[in-house]
Amino acid sequence: VNSSARVGGLLLLGTGLLLGAGCGSSDDAPKGAKTFSVKLTDAGCEPHSAELAAGPITFEVENDGTSAVSEFEVLEGDTILGEKENLSDGFSGSFSLTLEEGTYTMYCPGGEQERGTLTVTGGVKAAADPELTKAVADYRAYIERNTADLIAKTKPFVAAVIAGDVARAKSLYPPSRIPYERVEPVAESFGSLDPEIDARQGDVPAAEWGGFHKIEQALWVKGTTAGMAPVARKLLADVQRLNTKMKTVQPQAAQIANGANELLGEVSASKITGEEERYSHTDLVDFEANVDGAKAAFDSVRPILVKRDPALAKEIDQRFADVYDDLAPYGHGTDFVSYEKLSEADTRKLARSIDALAEPLSQVPAQIVR
Amino acid sequence: MSPLTRRQLLATGGAAGAGIALGGAGYAVGRESADGDGGTGTVAFHGDHQAGIATPAQDRLHFAAFDLTTERPSDLRELMRAWSDAAAEMTSGQPIGDLNHTQLAPPDDTGETVGLLPSQLTVTFGFGPDLFERRGEDRFGLSRSRPAALRPIPPLPGDTLDRATSGGDLCVQACSDDPQVAFHAVRNLARIGRGLVVMRWSQLGFGRTASTSREQDTPRNLMGFKDGTRNIVAEDIEAMRRHVWVGDEEDPAWMRGGTYMVARRIRMLLEIWDRSSLADQEQTIGRRKYSGAPLGKQEEFEPLDLEAEKQGRPVIPVDAHVRLASAPFNQGERILRRGYSFTDGVDERLGELDAGLFFICFQRDPAKQFVAIQRRLGRIDALNEYIRHVGSAVFAIPPGARPGGYVGEPLLRSA
Repeated sequence: VNSSARVGGLLLLGTGLLLGAGCGSSDDAPKGAKTFSVKLTDAGCEPHSAELAAGPITFEVENDGTSAVSEFEVLEGDTILGEKENLSDGFSGSFSLTLEEGTYTMYCPGGEQERGTLTVTGGVKAAADPELTKAVADYRAYIERNTADLIAKTKPFVAAVIAGDVARAKSLYPPSRIPYERVEPVAESFGSLDPEIDARQGDVPAAEWGGFHKIEQALWVKGTTAGMAPVARKLLADVQRLNTKMKTVQPQAAQIANGANELLGEVSASKITGEEERYSHTDLVDFEANVDGAKAAFDSVRPILVKRDPALAKEIDQRFADVYDDLAPYGHGTDFVSYEKLSEADTRKLARSIDALAEPLSQVPAQIVR
Repeated sequence: MSPLTRRQLLATGGAAGAGIALGGAGYAVGRESADGDGGTGTVAFHGDHQAGIATPAQDRLHFAAFDLTTERPSDLRELMRAWSDAAAEMTSGQPIGDLNHTQLAPPDDTGETVGLLPSQLTVTFGFGPDLFERRGEDRFGLSRSRPAALRPIPPLPGDTLDRATSGGDLCVQACSDDPQVAFHAVRNLARIGRGLVVMRWSQLGFGRTASTSREQDTPRNLMGFKDGTRNIVAEDIEAMRRHVWVGDEEDPAWMRGGTYMVARRIRMLLEIWDRSSLADQEQTIGRRKYSGAPLGKQEEFEPLDLEAEKQGRPVIPVDAHVRLASAPFNQGERILRRGYSFTDGVDERLGELDAGLFFICFQRDPAKQFVAIQRRLGRIDALNEYIRHVGSAVFAIPPGARPGGYVGEPLLRSA
């Protein structure tokens, strides 16, 4: 669990953000964009005002011999949605926006009449894009596989705790963590469920603390399962509730890509630092699971990205491979060295490896909704 | 797109705009500040020499040394291109990049300078010796282009160097009159380079300890003395030519118009210094503390009289810092000093202030200039009792980039 308040509800956001105006401008025209030509003149923008149909629009801007105006902007309120600047006499340029129904401002600073109205009518046609649909289906299947696996791995762990078998519980703890860590950002979107399952000591009031890490503390610090049976039973119930909720999730492609970033954020914030598994020191198990989850999320949107920015896709592929290479000397799956065995040089190397991957990966969501 | 590839697009795909972009009205968020002071407050990034050397010393510094984690020469080339593009944007008071208003993307620019003035920001890049050859390995195929003058600084008397704050493949010196503007520059360059470089060490400097222009007053260092009274000033074209800039007749050709930087982290033992009598302090330095005048003189800018004696003893002691550092004592060799005071909190071992001088100097030949001078100082300078050289680095500072080009282009173009 980490910053659940920040990411909570992320995947439940409506479509407004994704299709809303301001979802980005780009110099590359999106498929099927309509073209709208604007001239910069002494008077200002020409045409001064316009009415357009909603959807992707490419603004082609040309300076028609004015030295007074060198810039064109489209604004929603005070927010610049797109612009082209430094267009002196004879220069032209273009940018693209996806605009929803509404009233916008066309702004040509320096003109006699600087501001005009851009009226956009009609809804954006939300035709189902088969690639996006496939990306979502792929990732949903991944979520479902892992939540099913979470129940399958948590059951014997919980049984061992209830039976008082410390050694067996200890051996079953790391594998039960993997499926959870792979889909953690999705789990975090259900508000209180994540802290109930995955809170660390101090994240919640002591009286409310339960879940994996409370049992972890009992097993490794106290060497006992005493008093843990009710905690274990509740953990299994919570995991089953999570499974039910996961089936209702309808993530969007950009959110999936963003989930990959969240997972790497988890690695940087709590696994590299050894804070997640502070008693069992099995942090590297979670580390790899987070990276697995990020890779799966990325892979589901990768076919879209490859068409829009193949160089970025290639760079991210390489950096994922680098991360796995850097992690390999320490183990794999549930068989990793203890976090306590890592030197500062080890953790620094791993942290840098994650940073190198996370930077290009953070560029993906904007490319997916473009 | 990754920042790096986007930078490439800016430099190539945006060719029509590239030439005028820097002189333009600026990006939406930066416009107000750029125009607010009528175009002043900026120092041009492009030119024959890199900025940040002859530029009148700004008040604040953020210096960073980086190590390359890539082995590909093309990566190094694209990094320098991306860094140069970003530096040109930042020094002109504009935010980095073209992706700052997309809701679903992290902004290209980290944003902490929005609304701040450019504040004379300069960004100066340098190449360390390891870039050309590291433990006999020619990492980037650059070993035959290595300048003879670029050698690791040899061990010097009195060194107590910490490897953690020494060396580096590349350096970035960001200077500004606003500390946040300088920090922003290094932070964003580090971000652009992520995956290709890692920051090896960095140093914040909070106050300049040198004047590099006749228009500037001489500042004081943390010992309370005026520092840099006899520094080379940028207006002295002849001294700059003779002591600082690599000349048109010198090799390698890619360094012509460049210079060499030596950086030394010099810890001052301030607790001990502060317990010294005023007389001791003045004898140690060789100047009066408050006026800055050489011992035996009245005014700061009066020449040193190294011959003067009083009651059979030299007025300026034989081990006084100014005597040993003076040009007459060093075969006429001089250096352009451009250092900053620093503090990094508390030295945990002793509970003392971790503070001092982050010494930066520029010269044509470090071996003949800094190293020769420091050898002399390190042996007998009275000041040694109060300082420790704890960090050391040397960098070749290539000439400036032309508009549309990048720093190091003549070296890296064919790499």
